[in-house]
Amino acid sequence: MVLSTIVKSIEYMLKRPYTRLVPAKSRPFKTERLRGAHLLDMSKCTGCSMCQLVCPANAIDMVEVEGNYPQNPRRRFPRIDLHKCTYCGLCVEYCPFNALYMTSITGFELYTRDKKTTLKTPLELSKVDPSLITVRREMLAVKEVKPGG
Amino acid sequence: MAGSYTVYFGPQHPGAPGNIGFKLELEGERVVKAELIPGFLHRGFEKMIENRKWENSYVLSYRFCVEDPDSLEVAYAEALDKVFRVEPPEKARYFRMIQAEFSRIASHMFWVHFMAGSTGLRTPAYWASAAREEILKWFAWVTGHRVYHNFSVPGGIRGEVPEGFGERTTQLTYLVEDIVKDVEKALLGNRVFKRRTRGVGVIKGDVALKLGATGPVVRGGGLKYDTRKIAPYERYDKVSFEIPVGEVGDSYDRALVRFREVYESLKIIRQAVLEVRRGEPYRVKVPLTAPPGRGYARVEAARGEYTVHVVSTGGRSPYRVRFKSPSLPLLTTVLNYILENEEVTIADLPVIFASLDPCAPDIDR
Ligand code: SF4
Ligand code: SF4
Repeated sequence: MVLSTIVKSIEYMLKRPYTRLVPAKSRPFKTERLRGAHLLDMSKCTGCSMCQLVCPANAIDMVEVEGNYPQNPRRRFPRIDLHKCTYCGLCVEYCPFNALYMTSITGFELYTRDKKTTLKTPLELSKVDPSLITVRREMLAVKEVKPGG
Repeated sequence: MAGSYTVYFGPQHPGAPGNIGFKLELEGERVVKAELIPGFLHRGFEKMIENRKWENSYVLSYRFCVEDPDSLEVAYAEALDKVFRVEPPEKARYFRMIQAEFSRIASHMFWVHFMAGSTGLRTPAYWASAAREEILKWFAWVTGHRVYHNFSVPGGIRGEVPEGFGERTTQLTYLVEDIVKDVEKALLGNRVFKRRTRGVGVIKGDVALKLGATGPVVRGGGLKYDTRKIAPYERYDKVSFEIPVGEVGDSYDRALVRFREVYESLKIIRQAVLEVRRGEPYRVKVPLTAPPGRGYARVEAARGEYTVHVVSTGGRSPYRVRFKSPSLPLLTTVLNYILENEEVTIADLPVIFASLDPCAPDIDR
């Protein structure tokens, strides 16, 4: 028994390692539908506060932003504390105007040693690279199913 | 030298089962009584859920068991289905089963670390981690997260399954099976392991059930008690699987039952995958306000039976949420029964803890 375990151990040793050397050698683990940091489309957001209401972690508050946003006359946009966020995606799911997205930014890419940086202002959220978007509202929102299929 | 001592054990002790403490009464090296000291992880989860609305309360429902969150997720989703009186689509029902079964396997693979660690056989535990890692990768691919998936929601599941779901899931079951077989052979076949576990911590199934235990502890003692069979939920009545049982009810039998269970879980997954097809409806809409009433769900998790009871008075939030977890009886009644009926030394205590496999956070919640 012990011998066969040793043989197996050697077999496992020759296999590709499972350990990932983050951040020295590799990026955080990612998939196509990873729920990571948010992206805000400021040209669509109307300041309805739905995302703030639905957030279970109280990570969102609404702040006023300078500038001209015709669809949002009070210029109030969500500010997200990524340190509180649980990345549940409910804000994306419940945003009635498709203004929020989630991206593949995760792991150590979210944080720095300066605690202030986890509180993302609307402007910062809107400057995230759109090519990183992983989760959109249509992937999570409920498709109406009529009775009987 | 025999003498009576009182020793505190845990919460920060490598042999302790998580962040809980014990007050041990010793006579020489023999442990005669163990008094549980819980509370280090108490966060008031039930009240936190009651203070949230229906649509976001489920984000909290599974966060008190890191190793096996999906059984809780499925239990809470099913209880809310009953509160809202909705019938989730068939596909969601089958997907929830796959999710819960993978979670059970991942949890058992995590348990190998405790069991192997307490008997001094570290090597197979790392292989078990490989199986767990493959499962977590699968979860990240399907749901977007590795540990807390947040995918089973009232009314169904949260999103469409990805392209190639069936093939990759089936492939994964064979990959995991290979690794689990290696781990089983290296762990259960080892002479040291047998010596450390045979005849240690004996408890018969019917006694354990009377003392409040469920899950592998009862089945290890030879009793065929499994919620998936006696009160089938989701679609467990539509798939075929066996309930593995032990004979003696010692630590070895409990370990054996857990390994056998993994193979049965893989069997269930292979059958359920055939019913999860892309393009079919996966979720029905639930209203923002629940009608007055109650929902009750029982699920068989990795450690035993979880029950969830949700009461609604027709408001925007649950009026009362109550979880019953399987871990508390393991460390109180069952542990003290073993200590009374057997000569347990300090060295055997970690083995017994590991073979009971309690989850500290779900005792405290
Ligand atoms: S992001 Fe969406 S939900 Fe939030 S305030 Fe803007 S429009 Fe409303
Ligand atoms: S992902 Fe969840 S926790 Fe994070 S901001 Fe959105 S709703 Fe809040």
